[in-house]
Amino acid sequence: MLFLLLIVPLTTSLLFWTVRESVRTINIINATGSAILFAVSLLNLKVVLEQGKITSDFFGGIFYIDSLNGLILFATTLVSLLISIYSIGYMNEEYKRSLVNIARLRLYYCLLHLFIFTMILTTITQNIGVMWISIEATTLASAFLVGFYNNRKSIEAAWKYIIICSVGIAFALLGVILLYYSSVISLGQTVQGLNWQFLNDNAGSLHSSILKIAFLFILIGFGTKVGLAPMHTWLPDAHSQAPSPVSALLSGVLLNTAMYGIIRIMTIVNKNMGNSQFTGSLMIILGLVSIGAAAVFILVQQDFKRTLAYSSIEHMGIIALGIGISSALSIFAALFHIINHSLTKSMLFAASGNVYLKYDTKKISKIQGILKVMPVTGTVFLLGIFAITGMPPFSIFTSELGITISAFKEGKYLAVGFLLAFLVLIFAGFSSQMLRMFFGKPHKDHGIGEMNRITPVVLLILLAIITVTGIYLPSFLEKLIKSAGDIILLVH
Amino acid sequence: MLNRFIDLVLQIVLVLLVAPLVNGIIRKIKSTIQHRKGAPVLQLYFDLIKLFKKNMVISQHSSWIFIAAPYIYFITVITAFIFVPVVPQLFSFGFIGDAILVVYLLALGRFFLTLSGLDTGSTFGGMGSSREMMISSLIEPSLIITIFTLGLSSKAGSTAFQAIYEGNAKLGIGVISPIYLLLLAAMFIIIIAETARIPVDDPSTHLELTMVHEAMILEYSGRYLALMEYGASLKQLILITITANVFLPFGNSVIPELGLVFPILIYLAKVIVITVIIAIIEINTVKLRLFSVPNLAALAFILALLGFMSGFVFGR
Amino acid sequence: MDKLAPLLNIFSVGILISTFSLVASKRIMSYIKAFRIQSLILAAVAAIFSIYYLVEENRLEGIFIIFLLTVVFKVIYIPSMLKRISVRVEYKVEKDFFINIPISIIICCGLVILTWYVVSKIPELNNGYNGSFMVQSVSVILIGLFFMISRKKAIGQIIGFLVLENGTFLTAILLTSGMPMIVEFGIFFDLLTAVLIMGIFVFRINETFEHIDLNKLRNLRG
Repeated sequence: MLFLLLIVPLTTSLLFWTVRESVRTINIINATGSAILFAVSLLNLKVVLEQGKITSDFFGGIFYIDSLNGLILFATTLVSLLISIYSIGYMNEEYKRSLVNIARLRLYYCLLHLFIFTMILTTITQNIGVMWISIEATTLASAFLVGFYNNRKSIEAAWKYIIICSVGIAFALLGVILLYYSSVISLGQTVQGLNWQFLNDNAGSLHSSILKIAFLFILIGFGTKVGLAPMHTWLPDAHSQAPSPVSALLSGVLLNTAMYGIIRIMTIVNKNMGNSQFTGSLMIILGLVSIGAAAVFILVQQDFKRTLAYSSIEHMGIIALGIGISSALSIFAALFHIINHSLTKSMLFAASGNVYLKYDTKKISKIQGILKVMPVTGTVFLLGIFAITGMPPFSIFTSELGITISAFKEGKYLAVGFLLAFLVLIFAGFSSQMLRMFFGKPHKDHGIGEMNRITPVVLLILLAIITVTGIYLPSFLEKLIKSAGDIILLVH
Repeated sequence: MLNRFIDLVLQIVLVLLVAPLVNGIIRKIKSTIQHRKGAPVLQLYFDLIKLFKKNMVISQHSSWIFIAAPYIYFITVITAFIFVPVVPQLFSFGFIGDAILVVYLLALGRFFLTLSGLDTGSTFGGMGSSREMMISSLIEPSLIITIFTLGLSSKAGSTAFQAIYEGNAKLGIGVISPIYLLLLAAMFIIIIAETARIPVDDPSTHLELTMVHEAMILEYSGRYLALMEYGASLKQLILITITANVFLPFGNSVIPELGLVFPILIYLAKVIVITVIIAIIEINTVKLRLFSVPNLAALAFILALLGFMSGFVFGR
Repeated sequence: MDKLAPLLNIFSVGILISTFSLVASKRIMSYIKAFRIQSLILAAVAAIFSIYYLVEENRLEGIFIIFLLTVVFKVIYIPSMLKRISVRVEYKVEKDFFINIPISIIICCGLVILTWYVVSKIPELNNGYNGSFMVQSVSVILIGLFFMISRKKAIGQIIGFLVLENGTFLTAILLTSGMPMIVEFGIFFDLLTAVLIMGIFVFRINETFEHIDLNKLRNLRG
């Protein structure tokens, strides 16, 4: 059951090469593959909820699911399913306009599922080394997706993406080496030496000073992939130049998986030191810097996909902040925020993809009257903007509120002050820049109506999910988040 | 006293005999690798003998410096060799004369060499002199740091070569260590820069844009040219000898039973090893533009500095 | 393992020296050559370890395969691939660096000193030879990063990345005498793929922009 999680996306990705001409077959393989994947992940989650964790003996137990990565896995597969269905609508439209031919379509889907495969590998491994390998592999699988359009801007974005992420992640490798070194000198050389369970169980006997350095390097390395400022510079470029479904996956899933890597290592360091002061303060500072940097750039942004990309940096900052505060409430809220952000942001990128296809531009100033031209996309996009800036009744409001309250309770007044100020700025940025796209008359006649039936349905499903979870949290999700929080807080 | 004098004479004779051989070996290796037949190994000896027999052409515009410089250059190099022991058996001078004296004797020789380049007032001479001064001023700090570090690291507490050798002989296989590796790398760059070899200078060309050493001695002929060439080749041998005896300290300690011939053979073997390495470096590099020489000099300086630091800062 | 430490120390200094000569070289061909030498020394380090395991413990470790992979890819394949690329994209010989070379070398020396300073503050790392291993290999990583920053051409950045990667491998081999095998292989193939993809992108950049001067890639800002 565990291995199906890896086998399904890999087979799906290979199956595309058997298709010769038919776009329809490609679409069917794509939809079935991701649906099966989602089903498999639900089955695995059920086991996790019942038994607490899934382990296997493969290579000293490198695969391992507990509620923490179960949660990330849930978000990954859910967003992957919805986005790969959205891809059908999006890529069909591009195919119809002959922007892509069948070979490139095949390549696109193949890489898309390979990308999903690498992200799932990151999620379900507990071996820090394998985690590093798969995070680097996500970069490699998605580099061609970012540069998919092969024009000047997308190639520049892809180059920046692969170089900055590879360099960042090389620092994480140094961190992983140091972590392993500390495990070797205190626990001897074992195959399990990099397994999270093993390290966490023996955290007390590791050397704190080496762990601290290791955590710093890993935070910088994986933090580059998460998009924490000041290592975020690849993110707006890659997100804005990639095809919109890929942007949605990058923002909605990839960032979470890297964040998951940081969280895993953080728990080891926290357990070793007995408190979360060291890791917590680093996370809070990086989080606030990211939120602040994003706020500044959102205020002056001219390109709506870039605005959304900067908003991803902001939300990763909020998650880092919540995890850094490290109280039960803040961690619950941060983990909930991971899910909320990935759903909301993928919805927004999907909507922005529709807008881009219709208007053929990403410039905010050239777009008017989305609500008239595309009623469903426009409404979802508009509501999504309210959701992402933290308006009730959407789920992001709930989680941001949780983080704010916990920061007050923990006495982090300075942090909370900055957070609220930045959030206001971001709201101002979004509303002053983005809202004018929705009203008024379009400059040109784009033809009224949605381009197909698939994409609006996906958007509406996502909107429904984020609205419902904003008001009512399903009990299984609550249980999952709670026990994931217990893992971070080291409550057993 | 007489013994010492004999030793001195023997040493000078030895280096006078060996020095042109080094040039010959380097040229031969280069030509073999370039699939040429090349000049015989002993070519420089023939050249020197021929030059000593030839008449000289001396510019009317030149002053006494032009005539004195070859002698001064040659004599400073020979004098420097007194303080650079070649074979431990041959050296037993008690008076003070250390590595710094050697460096500045060579600098004195170079000073007159550059003056002689300027003296005739030809454009090439001036150009060569200014380039030579630039290169040497860039390379000198590295040489000084290298020598100081050698003095410190051999635990001799002295910059006299005799003491450094003895210290290194005690270290034995211990010279294969990070400090010595870094210093050796620096030393090779220094040798290349000081002896006018590729990539800093090309000894086999008279192309006006590139030549440095050849430009300075362009006006010389006959006996003076022979002295200059011989001096340059002796200076090369000094640097090679230092490198060979410091970094390959085998046979550095005096063992009376071995006599004199065996240590001399060891010395020759060491010189040939270093020579071959220099030849290989020369083949594998391309001539740098003059303005890229600072890159190489900076590299030598930093390697020497890291050598110093790895021994006396990092270790502590 | 302690018997090997002095020998390994020499080799890791050798890697540091080759890194410095890489920083000092101006032309693409000469820094490809310097990188090749560096990889050769790295391969030698791996070889020493595998011989040690073979002789002392009579088993063939994963590190032997790392040695083979290093020789095949980093000494032979990648340098010649980069040479081919740089011949194919044939741009004029022009200044390739932001910071002139003597100053870069001095900055790199500063990086070594910085690493030493940091390592000397951590007693657990600074015991015996591990301290100097750490200084040498981590400074190779930092110099690789600096090389990436200071070069404008895409190939220079790839070489910088490769140096950085060699540095991390060196750290892994010297400090932990090899990570678990599956991790080590995964890392190797990841990095190899990364370099291949970068190579492909160099071609694409050359096709779309008619140069590979990354300094002029300035479409995306803000």
